[in-house]
Amino acid sequence: MAVGLVLTACGSKNDSGSGGTSTGASGSQAPTSNLKIGLAYDIGGRGDQSFNDSAARGLDKAKSELGFSIKELEATAGETDAQKEDRLRQLAEGGYNPIVAVGFAYATALEKTAKDYPDIKFAIIDSVDPAADNVANLTFAEQEGSYLVGVAAALKTKTNNVGFIGGVNVPLIQKFEVGFTAGVKAVKPDATVQAKYLTQPPDFTGFNDPAKGETAAKGMFDAGADIVYAAAGGSGAGVFKTAKANGKLGIGVDSDQYNLPSLADVKDVILTSMIKEVDVAVYDFITSVKDNKFAKGNKVYDLKAGGIDYATSGGKLDDIKAKIDDYKAKIISGEIKVPSTK
Amino acid sequence: MRNRTARSILLGVAAPVGALVFAALVCALILAVTGHSVGDVVDAMSTAAQRPRTLVNSVNSATVYYLAAVAVAIGFRMKLFNIGVDGQYRLAAMLSAALAGAAFMDSVPSVLRIAMTVVAAMLVGAAWAGLAALLKVTRGVSEVISTIMLNSIATYLVSYLLNPARLAVTTAGSNNIGTRKITEGGQVAGFEVSGSSTKVFGLVLLAVVVGFLYWFVLSRTRFGFELKATGLSESAAVASGVSVKKMVVISMLLSGAVAGLVGMPQLLGSSYTYSLDFPPGLGFVGIAVALLGRNHPIGMMVASLLWGFLDNAANSLDISGVPREIVLIMQGVIVLSVVVAYELVRRYRVRAEQQAVGSALGRTKPLEEVSA
Amino acid sequence: MSTEPPAGAAPAVHLTAITKRFPGVVANSDVNISVRAGTVHALVGENGAGKSTLMKILYGMQQPDEGTIAVNGKPVSFGSPADAIRAGIGMVHQHFMLADNLTVLENVVLGSEPRKGVGLDFAAAHARIKEISDSYGLGVDPDRLVDDLGVGERQRVEILKVLYRGARTLILDEPTAVLVPQEVDELFGNLRDLKAEGLTILFISHKLDEVLSVADDITVMRRGTTVASVSPEDVTARKLAELMVGSALPVPELRESTVTDEAVLSVEGLTLVGADGRTVLNDISFTIHAGEVLGIAGVEGNGQAELVETLMGIRSPTSGTITLSGKDITNESTRHRREAGVGYIPEDRHRQGVLLEATLWENRILGHQTRKPNVRGPLLDRRGAKADTERIVVEYDVRTPGIDVNAAALSGGNQQKLIVGREMSGAPILLIASHPTRGVDVGAQAAIWEHIRRARADHLAVLLISADLDELIGMSDTLSVILRGRLVADHDPATVTPEQLGSAMTGAGRED
Repeated sequence: MAVGLVLTACGSKNDSGSGGTSTGASGSQAPTSNLKIGLAYDIGGRGDQSFNDSAARGLDKAKSELGFSIKELEATAGETDAQKEDRLRQLAEGGYNPIVAVGFAYATALEKTAKDYPDIKFAIIDSVDPAADNVANLTFAEQEGSYLVGVAAALKTKTNNVGFIGGVNVPLIQKFEVGFTAGVKAVKPDATVQAKYLTQPPDFTGFNDPAKGETAAKGMFDAGADIVYAAAGGSGAGVFKTAKANGKLGIGVDSDQYNLPSLADVKDVILTSMIKEVDVAVYDFITSVKDNKFAKGNKVYDLKAGGIDYATSGGKLDDIKAKIDDYKAKIISGEIKVPSTK
Repeated sequence: MRNRTARSILLGVAAPVGALVFAALVCALILAVTGHSVGDVVDAMSTAAQRPRTLVNSVNSATVYYLAAVAVAIGFRMKLFNIGVDGQYRLAAMLSAALAGAAFMDSVPSVLRIAMTVVAAMLVGAAWAGLAALLKVTRGVSEVISTIMLNSIATYLVSYLLNPARLAVTTAGSNNIGTRKITEGGQVAGFEVSGSSTKVFGLVLLAVVVGFLYWFVLSRTRFGFELKATGLSESAAVASGVSVKKMVVISMLLSGAVAGLVGMPQLLGSSYTYSLDFPPGLGFVGIAVALLGRNHPIGMMVASLLWGFLDNAANSLDISGVPREIVLIMQGVIVLSVVVAYELVRRYRVRAEQQAVGSALGRTKPLEEVSA
Repeated sequence: MSTEPPAGAAPAVHLTAITKRFPGVVANSDVNISVRAGTVHALVGENGAGKSTLMKILYGMQQPDEGTIAVNGKPVSFGSPADAIRAGIGMVHQHFMLADNLTVLENVVLGSEPRKGVGLDFAAAHARIKEISDSYGLGVDPDRLVDDLGVGERQRVEILKVLYRGARTLILDEPTAVLVPQEVDELFGNLRDLKAEGLTILFISHKLDEVLSVADDITVMRRGTTVASVSPEDVTARKLAELMVGSALPVPELRESTVTDEAVLSVEGLTLVGADGRTVLNDISFTIHAGEVLGIAGVEGNGQAELVETLMGIRSPTSGTITLSGKDITNESTRHRREAGVGYIPEDRHRQGVLLEATLWENRILGHQTRKPNVRGPLLDRRGAKADTERIVVEYDVRTPGIDVNAAALSGGNQQKLIVGREMSGAPILLIASHPTRGVDVGAQAAIWEHIRRARADHLAVLLISADLDELIGMSDTLSVILRGRLVADHDPATVTPEQLGSAMTGAGRED
């Protein structure tokens, strides 16, 4: 191929850099702290201020506490399943074990790869597919946490009008909306919930476009909302900025955003955050492999199991914390069933 | 004459090759400046070039890019910029996936079922492009603007339709959503390649056929001549009895129909469903590949293979510690330098040809003639 | 203004052994010209003889490969027109470079705005323009809008622009090409005034009568080099012309009349209202018979282009009918008209006549893409088209090494011969010819005339539009004058003079 020739012509000698082994895995030893961890991100990769970053935190924690060596690969917008599969296979061929695939987009690719590498332990975030003996599916009950912040919003709204901003209109984010709405209505059945998604798939920029978040939030505040829940990754920064400018409140997502250094100047408008601890899930998975306690199949992180919660930093919920915890207990006990689809 | 043809071919090859060498040098410079080893990249690329899976994936990507490039090139030939190939193929893939996956299709014979899927995709693509053509000939709306808008509208339309209440199905607990999976009778088998876990798309043959038809129609038919004439000089075409409006409509419809095919190899050869992770943005790759391949059937083939290889080598770069973005930089630099190189070669060629004509006719030796 | 240079001073411009090589086009080769200060010096030559290249070199737009330029005895080298302007050389282009929606004042100062601090000093510029206009008798009002000016006045604005920038030597590139005879006389009056004020004028033309009446010295160019320097007293127009072409001259003339009574093209009450609501064609009626050439004279922009495009079906008339051989074709498409036997030699061959970036044989197909020998059904007949292109190349003497070169590689004259050959093929019954010999050399001109004559004898009907009055008078059986979209007068080409036609073209002669 032309480029191969060109590059070889101007390059150096060519001894194997990586990969090379084409079949089988480089056998899995009993887990030790010499593990090589492979992690394949979804589009955006490390630095997306959203769930990729959250996964990265879990990885970093594992690395610094347990001394693993790691390899992180990113996805490109517009790629096919075959390219995702190639990424997982290259990690497998490179002797990485365990391997974490971040995002449901890896489901098809992982199904094919995992089959050929039975000795490697895989984890996939946000997907119950594929089901295999060497795959752990780490999923979250985002609707439950969203329900609780919905309760908080309903208790705090003065205008009886709140908003939901989703990054991209996909089922995963719709779960946030459904839970949030249910929480609001549980407290105030007559309250208005405005909902808007910043982009439609396959345009995933809605997770990382603060300007869009700003515009959408402004529209909701103008239409009477006084609290807006931003389930929109990095776009949330724009929502908080608008909230601050208009004297309103926002609700964060994924991590306790009140404590994020990058949001320090707007933290006083962050009422609470819906916590989805992808980092914890990743860290748990890695340690489970290390400790030889790998469990296949779906592990649901919810209010009961942890990994999903609401944040109280900043003290804005001090007066209603008891009420929210009451709802939380009922969800855990099963007395309240939070819906996940419309 | 033979000399001139030889030189003509040489010149035709000189531009892209020169541009590629230049792009490689620029990338090497960028790597060096950012503290990465050029050797690593070469290693990673040559490793990738030896891995059957990467090659198969490259061919598969190229198949899709080629179709997109042909769709774009049909418009380019008459200076019509169909930026909307992207929206056209996504809408076409989604609707034809819904059709192919529908339960009643399970009883349709395989060949017929595949043909229906492909035809449906072409019709949808053509219809979506036809809207832009209609706006252009009746209201004078620039096709650049309208196709960009139609891309957006297609995105919303697909989003709207991709809903369990409409054309999509979901599996419990899954965060993905897509059309009903096309059962085996509706799929197109691929070609096995030893050492590769992925197969070559069966519809790679479709791309070959489309490429042949593109070549034949453009260079051997009256329609192709009129298309070329309109692209070279609209005023001359009009004076020659070509209805430019008709040409706009026909070429947009054809472009849209080919755009409709773009999603087919992936849909029928690998995904079997149009879901959230169906590859977007292929229409824009098509623009780059058409530019790189100079709208030429063979040129675009080479360009799409190059593009496909670069895309599929990205993982190898990433794993060897070189940022995969270098691939994007390389692609960008290649397109830019190719455009510049083509223009330089074009100017040189015009001058060379004038010179050739001049010397053949002895017109550049005025002194002798005057004294004669 | 500075004083007149003393007698016996160095020549205003002296070009020695200028050589400029270009691929494929006539270059300058060993050009020598000496222009005396305070004179009108004419540079004559056929189109393509190298005059324009030479002037571009003198005006700094191109650099010579060899040779020297001296201005007022001092050797100079111009890297750009700005250098030439600084040396006192100004150029008045054939195509005016004026902004219509600005006033004369604004146009003149554009690019050399008079500054006073940070602001513009229009008052000073105004006074200066008035002063220049008065001292050279240009009669230009600085405050008028250029849009309102006639062609002659616009040309004077161009001259004023150059003078305003301090030029002492003016280059005028074919200044009379756009003027009617009366305006030409006015221009020459201006030139004499400028000369009287000590300015030097280099005057480029191929109209020999004009040259003889205004020039003090004449230099003749042919095929890129200077072949003679003569004084107007010593030569006749005929002698000059023969110097220009290097051989005896062809004359446009028809032999015996071949006009029949079979009407080929009948136009009735043709009216076209433009998009801006202006009536471009007003109630035009005429008939052309088989074997007849109808010539239409007129100053450019009086509706000729629109008339031709309406006849070709490129524009739709607002009212009126067009009948071809008894069949109403008013609403037929361009393609149908062409298929019915209408040949078309367009006014601007690069815009409508050829595809520059396509081969000669592809250009042969253009406009004939539905007819033999170019197509078989929906498929191109490449072999047929190529064979017929070879025929045209031979019969019409198209100078080319082959039919696979792009049209852009040919000279304008050879492109035109290809177009004529193409439009004459397939036995047309009507030929619409706009400026068929514009920009072609003498040999090609004679050949094109001969082809039209022969086709006319074979019953071809021809509509001939031309700016060359000699061509119109010589080649037409019937002559009409078009003025502001109307056919205003008919003339007998056997008796009419160019002056009478010129008067009719400007509307001055309507009461005669």
